[in-house]
Amino acid sequence: MYDDYLTIALSKGTLLEPTLEVFKKLKLPGEGIDDKSRSMVFTYDKERVKYIMCRPTDVPTYVEQGAADLGIVGKDVIVEQARDVFEMVDLQYGYCRFVVAVPEAIKNIALKDLNYKRAATKFPVIAENFFRSQGLQVEIIKLHGNIELAPLMGLADMIVDLVSTGRTLKENRLVEFIKIMDSTTRLICNRVSYRTKHQQIQPLIENMQKLSTGGSA
Amino acid sequence: MKSRKISRGLRDLLPPELKVRRFMEEKAAALFASYAYEEVMTPTFEYLEVVEIGTGGNIREELFLFMDREGGILSLRPEMTTGIARLAATHLRDAVFPQRLYYLSNSFRYVQPHLAQYREFWQAGIELLGAEGVRADAEVITIAVKALQEMGLDNFKISLNQIAIFNSLLDESGLNREEKDCIRSLVENKDLVELSRVLESLDIDDELKETIAILPVLHGGIEVLDRLPYVEKNRRALAAVQELREVYETLQLCGVIDHIVVDMGVLRGLDYYTGTVFEGYSPELGYGLLGGGRYDHLLGKFGFPCPATGFALGMDRLALLLKHPALQEAPRYLVGGKDFAAVIAQAEELRKQGFAVEIDVEGKSRQELERKLEGRENCITGGLIYV
Repeated sequence: MYDDYLTIALSKGTLLEPTLEVFKKLKLPGEGIDDKSRSMVFTYDKERVKYIMCRPTDVPTYVEQGAADLGIVGKDVIVEQARDVFEMVDLQYGYCRFVVAVPEAIKNIALKDLNYKRAATKFPVIAENFFRSQGLQVEIIKLHGNIELAPLMGLADMIVDLVSTGRTLKENRLVEFIKIMDSTTRLICNRVSYRTKHQQIQPLIENMQKLSTGGSA
Repeated sequence: MKSRKISRGLRDLLPPELKVRRFMEEKAAALFASYAYEEVMTPTFEYLEVVEIGTGGNIREELFLFMDREGGILSLRPEMTTGIARLAATHLRDAVFPQRLYYLSNSFRYVQPHLAQYREFWQAGIELLGAEGVRADAEVITIAVKALQEMGLDNFKISLNQIAIFNSLLDESGLNREEKDCIRSLVENKDLVELSRVLESLDIDDELKETIAILPVLHGGIEVLDRLPYVEKNRRALAAVQELREVYETLQLCGVIDHIVVDMGVLRGLDYYTGTVFEGYSPELGYGLLGGGRYDHLLGKFGFPCPATGFALGMDRLALLLKHPALQEAPRYLVGGKDFAAVIAQAEELRKQGFAVEIDVEGKSRQELERKLEGRENCITGGLIYV
């Protein structure tokens, strides 16, 4: 589906508000955008820009397949899905980190003792790659939410999850054992759009870069 | 019920799709032949060690591997160029070079299947073996442009780069092997965020950092080459830039420059390509249509050092863009009648004239056949002849 609109896939939820703030500074349109409204496509004819509202995990898919030219999404999602997209700008906000967390009771355990233990996670790829890179064999148990519950109920010995403040861990008597990686929000780009819509995309990227490194757009 | 499953990422092709496919193949073959390229075929599978000479061993998880009965490890071919390089190093040692070869073939990769990406995919491609230099590069790129045009595509761009610019800058950066590999992999994975972070942490010339950081996103007309300050300090990179300018100028002579953009971001297969590289895109599809470039070291790995360049065009992807290809089909008749000898004679007569003829083999009456024809006017364009 080709048109001369620049289509940007936005992540619903916590990333939306800081994203719209950045867009405002870049003088991109933004009136009426709301992830609670029924509409999922927001079109601005004058500026030739379209936004589509997606679940964060769907953003890389839209961008990889060219249904969107650009996308705003967390590094965590990009790494987990390993999609073929350009990763252009670190927008700095939405910070969180991937950690291995263990129950308080075994917080002094050695890394090698995690061998042949079970880890519950929403991010099986990241978890698997991390343990492999450490030469460990860990059984990955994929869950879809409330990961902290798994060690409490004896389903897993540890978890691999995203943490921002660490409060949820504490409430469930888990402690951060080792950090796997940091994650912030990124601007990603379809590899063909980057070339065919270069005139529209390149200035936008440059402005975002200036903004995110502290300068003014 | 018998199983109707097929393996993931494969597909059946039905007559409407195959008509488009054959149309594309005929156009490609005719074009390649008009540039004096000749067709070759290589085996569908090769020894893994042969395949890995070409791919460098880093795509093993994309290969379909199996064993022969002597215990050798085999791979379905993931692309055509390696097999053709092996073929040339075996059979063409005494030939007069340059050799011009083309292929229309399927290859296999264990990729995540989706629209425009299948595990068995078809390519049309050429290899120009034994010719160094700008004119050979320009010939191959010109044929790539013309192939897309011949098949009826207008809206496309070919991105052009010279991989030695990036490679020379990196080679002479004073970085150790690990750092170089890290930068290469970030550039190939297009992780520009991490790239700029890694560059910042390295102890090298600031202008060089800036140049490496800007290369993957530098895009436009030939004038973008003026935006590479550090290149002046690197003799090999400077020579590569000069060569890129010459390829561009030669493509002007070839009359295809309207479709060419300079794009320093075409940085794939950094271990494999050695010079001019290019990729083709259409704004109507989120994936590349064709890719190619110069690979002067590959044949040497088969014991037959020989410069080479070529490209492969993804037929499955291109087919998605050809909505109304100019297919030429002979009008089709339906011939029926009580006297089967007369039916056969009539059908043969029409076939001799170049028409396609469907014979009624069920002995139906005129009324029955007329009813059968209803709704098939687009197919049986010649109509019914009842004898």
